[in-house]
Amino acid sequence: MHRFIHLSVLLMGLFSATCSYGADAPQSAQMTPDSSWPLVEQPIEFPHNRHAKDMQIDCMYCHTYARRSAVAGIPPLKKCIGCHQSIESVRETPRIKKLFEYWEGSADGKIAAKTPMPWKKVHDLPDFVRFNHERHIKRFIEQQNRPTQEACGYCHGDVKELTVARRSKALSMGWCASCHEKDHPVTAAGGVSAGDQAYWYGFNKPVSSGSGGEVKAQGPNDCWHCHK
Amino acid sequence: MMDSGFDRRDFLKVMGWGGAAVALTGCGNTSVEDGRETVVSYSEPADYVIPSIGVYYNSTCAQCDASCSINGRVREGRVLKLEGNPDSTINRGKMCGLGQAGVQHHYNPDRVRQPLLRKGNQGEAITWEKAYALIAEKMKGVSGSEVAFLSGSVSGHLKVLLGNYLDSIGCKNHFVYEAIAPGVVRAANKKSYGVEMPRFSINKAKVVLSFGADFLGSWVSPVHFSQQYAEFRKGVNGQRGVLIQVEPKMTLTGANADRWLAIRPGTEGVLALGIINALGVAKGDVAELVKDYDRARVSNETGVPAGQIDKIAALLKLRSPSLVLAGSAAEGYVHGSQNAAAINLLNHVLGNVGKTVEITESVPFPQMAPATGSTAALKSLSDGLAAGKFKVLFSYAANPVYTSPSAMKVRESMGKAGFKVAFAHYLDETALEADLVLPLDSALEDWGTHVPEYLATCAQINIQQPLMEKLHPETRGMGDILLALLKQNRADEYKGYEDYYAYMRNALLKNKSALGGAKIDDETFWNETLSRGIIKLEGPTTNLASKTSVAGINLPEAAEENADYPMQLIPAVSASLRDGRHTNQPWLQESPDPLTTIVWDSWVEIHPKKAAEMHIVEGDIIEVTSRNGSIKAQAYLFPGIHPEAVSIPLGRGHEAMGRYAKGFGVNPFQIMDAVYDKGTGELAMNETRVKISKTGQRVIVVKDEGAVGGKQMGKKIAVRVSTDEVDLSEEV
Repeated sequence: MHRFIHLSVLLMGLFSATCSYGADAPQSAQMTPDSSWPLVEQPIEFPHNRHAKDMQIDCMYCHTYARRSAVAGIPPLKKCIGCHQSIESVRETPRIKKLFEYWEGSADGKIAAKTPMPWKKVHDLPDFVRFNHERHIKRFIEQQNRPTQEACGYCHGDVKELTVARRSKALSMGWCASCHEKDHPVTAAGGVSAGDQAYWYGFNKPVSSGSGGEVKAQGPNDCWHCHK
Repeated sequence: MMDSGFDRRDFLKVMGWGGAAVALTGCGNTSVEDGRETVVSYSEPADYVIPSIGVYYNSTCAQCDASCSINGRVREGRVLKLEGNPDSTINRGKMCGLGQAGVQHHYNPDRVRQPLLRKGNQGEAITWEKAYALIAEKMKGVSGSEVAFLSGSVSGHLKVLLGNYLDSIGCKNHFVYEAIAPGVVRAANKKSYGVEMPRFSINKAKVVLSFGADFLGSWVSPVHFSQQYAEFRKGVNGQRGVLIQVEPKMTLTGANADRWLAIRPGTEGVLALGIINALGVAKGDVAELVKDYDRARVSNETGVPAGQIDKIAALLKLRSPSLVLAGSAAEGYVHGSQNAAAINLLNHVLGNVGKTVEITESVPFPQMAPATGSTAALKSLSDGLAAGKFKVLFSYAANPVYTSPSAMKVRESMGKAGFKVAFAHYLDETALEADLVLPLDSALEDWGTHVPEYLATCAQINIQQPLMEKLHPETRGMGDILLALLKQNRADEYKGYEDYYAYMRNALLKNKSALGGAKIDDETFWNETLSRGIIKLEGPTTNLASKTSVAGINLPEAAEENADYPMQLIPAVSASLRDGRHTNQPWLQESPDPLTTIVWDSWVEIHPKKAAEMHIVEGDIIEVTSRNGSIKAQAYLFPGIHPEAVSIPLGRGHEAMGRYAKGFGVNPFQIMDAVYDKGTGELAMNETRVKISKTGQRVIVVKDEGAVGGKQMGKKIAVRVSTDEVDLSEEV
């Protein structure tokens, strides 16, 4: 019985520690990594630095779905081949040879032609969170004219310095809220009435606008935007 | 009576430890961080494929024979949700719950995935080449007359191919079987109106008098009729339509009626003639026929109060046109044909024929017209099998072992066929009897054309196209299988068709001009046809008979009391489970029955008065015994049933068919008497006499409603409280 109680206390402690960790996540929207999550081994050690830094290729040239869809998508194999079939200089390097094995089939027959690349997931959100890439691209890149690498970097870190992508931001709710609360302050201007409803993130109650106006919350402060 | 072997205490324990596990993984790595989750990209996607954005395809619902057109949302190559196609005149963009569950047919975990060959009591997985070779070998030396092909109703190019295959082996024994099709009504309509299924315009009628036609739930084309019903209720010139439903057991339609009358089972025809008598407008031989059916006699025989008969007659006189429907509750008797004929006669007397009973077009390709199923077909197959006439039996889209009365001995007769092939999605009761089981593509993976039996406003051919790639590589479309079998005998004729898709495409393109594509090129026509999902046509019509003969209408005298079996068994057809072919779709099992709100189980509906006499309360396990066996189920006290009848819903009580169907509830087909309608030879479904007895056991009925019930395994949910008992200030 005592053992059980000990264990419960331990679990409770651990659980609250994890929660508070999420809430206390660094409140910055910079590209610098907040922490380094484990490096995930990929089928090909894709050099983001070669593409994004040396070659200056726009993120959305390959992650083309980001501006059109909720998910950024992994570039289709054809995209890689489209360029690389005419880049003779690196055609015989080990990584590109491996890439072409997926497209043309491997000599030993283990990989059939046009097999999609089994990339490993690096960034992931729980199923009850609906993050929308398109909206963030619209806002930061199209409306505010920020550089693509900076805008993507808010959540993905400084990818141009990496080979394979590695998670460098918490991606927890508290971490998301840190931007949303800073950039969408709860003001009297427009939006849905907050009243005493749970229209803010539960961490910090929205402050009254001071001018005597009703407390209002803007769109992105609504639970429904991500949890639908 | 769900018995999961997992009680509440265990459940909570597991939940508790599950929570602990979640908390623990919070400290370690997640499966993503460990690199165990892949995110596979496309290799060469089409331009319109964008991850997380749906693509929509039109197709045709195959859950029942109404053939509604559907529109499926496909995302990342997976079909997620079906909706109605607004372009269809049948369902006009709507869909029923049964249709919605179609995705669970597709993703069902219990689908057969490989050809299985019987080895003792086991099925051994074999290749398709071996399966086809085996069929060819077994067909060698067997004459066409020794082969029987059993199928559900088929139409379109599949029917053409099937006909050609049977022709190629010289077989004329195609038995089209549907367990709950309106076979008797079809035959009666043919006699009364000249066509099997005229167009019923509920929306044009001012009064609908329905004799047990559950047109909102399960009868013929429910989605179409529901929309007509909505118009009917809005009314013409503001006069709201009145629905009168006469039936021994309340159906969903009955529950919606303005007046619901419980009638003594089997006396529907008597009431129809009684109404004609009370109308007093009949002349000649009709008047002669009904002259003895005065209200005292009719009331006595049917149990419908004399005053109600007068009221119905007065209403029908006052409001014209009206519409009288003969439904499945009226046809399931030895004298079912007589009942239906008497009811149809009422339409003639009221002058509804041509007004609300209208001519319908047919598709101008008679070879594609639907072969409608009947239970008489199963009877002759079963007799043929029992007599040892058939050496090879094919079975497709039918499950007679489950859906026929055990007194018909279909399982035993099937044993006499030397080689039985079942084309199946699941290992259902019939597939389990087969020697060779060939796995079929789901309806959402297969190609096809469908001609609906009940056409709404115009003739149409509905296109069925795959909404996604096959889930299991070793399943085949029925058309592909038939084509492969045809090639065994007529290789030259069919060698040009690589698969059923090629055959279907070629057949439609060949008749392009007749299908409205005279001025466009093949590719455009084909793409437009697929994107629309429907080909609408002008078709030939058959004139309706303006008069009907009353010869042959001869209703039997009221049956004598049977002291041994005092009650009538009314097997109820539910809107979602129908004949039980979709019972393994859990959405259908868990959606509450519209009238009793019971889920996942069978029940015996019994009138509260009768229950009080026998000291039965809700949840008592009662035994229902007929001459052919007995079944036990929980009692449900229901005022919407005739006191001399009990009702058990069809569709449950499977002995096979996978985890969601097997072992839930009981199967009333089992105890039905094998008696047949004299006119058509159709199984008389409502003719079974039963007795009931208490077993002494009692359970809590798992259901959604009720102040007493409202319990789920002892846990209260959605308790009903009347509003004046609620004090909101206390609640908040």
